Amino acid sequence: MKAEMILLWSAIVTYTVAGSIAITGVVLRKRPEGTVLALMLFGLALHGASIGLRWERLGHGPFITMFEILSSNIWSLLAMFALVYWRFPAVRPAAAIVLPILFVMMGWLVMQSPRDGHFPPTYKTVWLFIHVGLGKVFLGAVLISVGLGGVVLARASERGAAWFARLPGDRALDELAYRFLALGLIFETLMLVAGAIWAQDAWGRYWAWDPLETWAFLTWLMLVFSLHLRFTLKPAPRVGALLAMGVFCLAFLTFFGVPFISKAPHQGAI
Amino acid sequence: MRIARTLRKPVAGPAKPDFGGAAPAAVASLGRIGSLRLTLWLIALFAIAVAASYQGIAQPTWALAAPLALLAANLAAAVATHPSFRKQSALLVFHLALLAIIGLLAAGRLTYLKGNLELSDGQTFDGVLTERENGPLHRDALERVAFTNLGFSVEYAAGVRRAATVNQVRWRDARGEWRGAEIGDNAPLVIEGYRFYTTFNKGFAPQFGWTARGSTEEQRGTIHLPSYPINQLQQALEWTPPGATRSLWTMLEIGEVLLDPDQRVTLRLPREHTLVIRAAGRRVELRPGESHAFAEGRLRYEGLRMWMGYSVFYDWTIPWLLAACVVAVLALAWHFGAKFLAEPWQGGDAETAT
Repeated sequence: MKAEMILLWSAIVTYTVAGSIAITGVVLRKRPEGTVLALMLFGLALHGASIGLRWERLGHGPFITMFEILSSNIWSLLAMFALVYWRFPAVRPAAAIVLPILFVMMGWLVMQSPRDGHFPPTYKTVWLFIHVGLGKVFLGAVLISVGLGGVVLARASERGAAWFARLPGDRALDELAYRFLALGLIFETLMLVAGAIWAQDAWGRYWAWDPLETWAFLTWLMLVFSLHLRFTLKPAPRVGALLAMGVFCLAFLTFFGVPFISKAPHQGAI
Repeated sequence: MRIARTLRKPVAGPAKPDFGGAAPAAVASLGRIGSLRLTLWLIALFAIAVAASYQGIAQPTWALAAPLALLAANLAAAVATHPSFRKQSALLVFHLALLAIIGLLAAGRLTYLKGNLELSDGQTFDGVLTERENGPLHRDALERVAFTNLGFSVEYAAGVRRAATVNQVRWRDARGEWRGAEIGDNAPLVIEGYRFYTTFNKGFAPQFGWTARGSTEEQRGTIHLPSYPINQLQQALEWTPPGATRSLWTMLEIGEVLLDPDQRVTLRLPREHTLVIRAAGRRVELRPGESHAFAEGRLRYEGLRMWMGYSVFYDWTIPWLLAACVVAVLALAWHFGAKFLAEPWQGGDAETAT
């Protein structure tokens, strides 16, 4: 366990350095993008090794405790963002928005006990991996939309406009954010379908409006509403940014709030 | 190729209804019902209904059914009137799949069944559920279903945390032949569309023989003590033997620790136990094979068995719902994929904020 924690802390420090450099680069209008990408990848490798060691030790993946769920989501969100950072050089300064969101999650993670959790019998299915994996892609896609929307909102101020002047215009950022929201909709839909298949086998019903299902569905509706509003009313990029943030907030609450305040069977606790 | 070609000239936002040669008034009405702005309001209304049902403010079935029906009407009218759907096949397929899902959900709610039953080891399901809830159009076929609980094992991790449940059953297929199966976590028994699941609900089942006073015929059966280990300190039940008028209060006394919280263990029958029976102010202790004459008959305690609680679920729409969901999500991916591939994002080398 000691090695896991050393690797995890090393990863967190590496991510923090990457984020700090990204923020400094935006403020000083420098382009340390290669360094930020390299640090993110190095952090991901350390973090992945930590998760792998824990997986090997416990015999199950990071699906049970808040510590495990936060850790695995920080990894997957950063992996998604690193991919976008590499593939879309024009929006790299958005790291100054995305990485601080992940800092909050890292702060939350280090306050959690790394205790072992009980792996419920209903979790022993391939649908766990499919459902969780699809959910991670969904949340990652929405996070990237939030990063792009954050740039649009930050540019409302004079200082923000100066910091993010190098990025494409608001319309272009809004269009890219929309594309990631659309990707999010596909993956959230798949996540809900995979979850329903799992629930049918595990609990004898594909849908029961338990707290997690209800909030996940409300997130889906919010996402559908955002995309439909965009098509129908052609809102300003700032409205699009606020909608993306609304979707992310609901998704965040669903992923990290509901499972830990609810005693519903969706946790596999019975 | 056709899709990519049409998407190079995408529909620029909401278009006016286009309904061929139909009567203008009808077209206008349909256009209003299919308004895309109305869709936004209805999605918001549906979200409010979901939240209200979740909070217990509204009765779930109607609170959800009403906005969903309105959404379905809006969606159908939009599909019929908006030219976007005829120009973008994938979008059309996605929305038709959504309509199919809504229809299937409604059909499922009208014909579903869910319920519970309990079977002792060796007991065969006789089609009777202890609890049931079903849609108004459910056609009961449970009398054609037969399966026998052949026994089960439930493992517990340290801390008395339930792990794997494995239940051996035999069941009768459509040709009347008996077949064996192993069910448990994530693995239901499916017969005639009814899906039977093991549950956390299980316990001990003392088996008795009861001979009523003045009769020579012994009736055999089990009673199901409260679920174990949730009620491990309340293993008692008050029951009335067949034909009797006075009840017998029966308690199982277990003289050992069955689920050691410090170890990984499998739930089993106790090696030593006693049944304590109270009737008409008298207290009697029985061990397997012993019997006692009460005022209304003789009770013979045969031994201890276990019972398993099952849940049952029937919904013929499940495979169709899955198919409609797969079609919907594939169409959605096709729509967005074709659209984005046809128009790559221009931000990388176009305008900047400055």
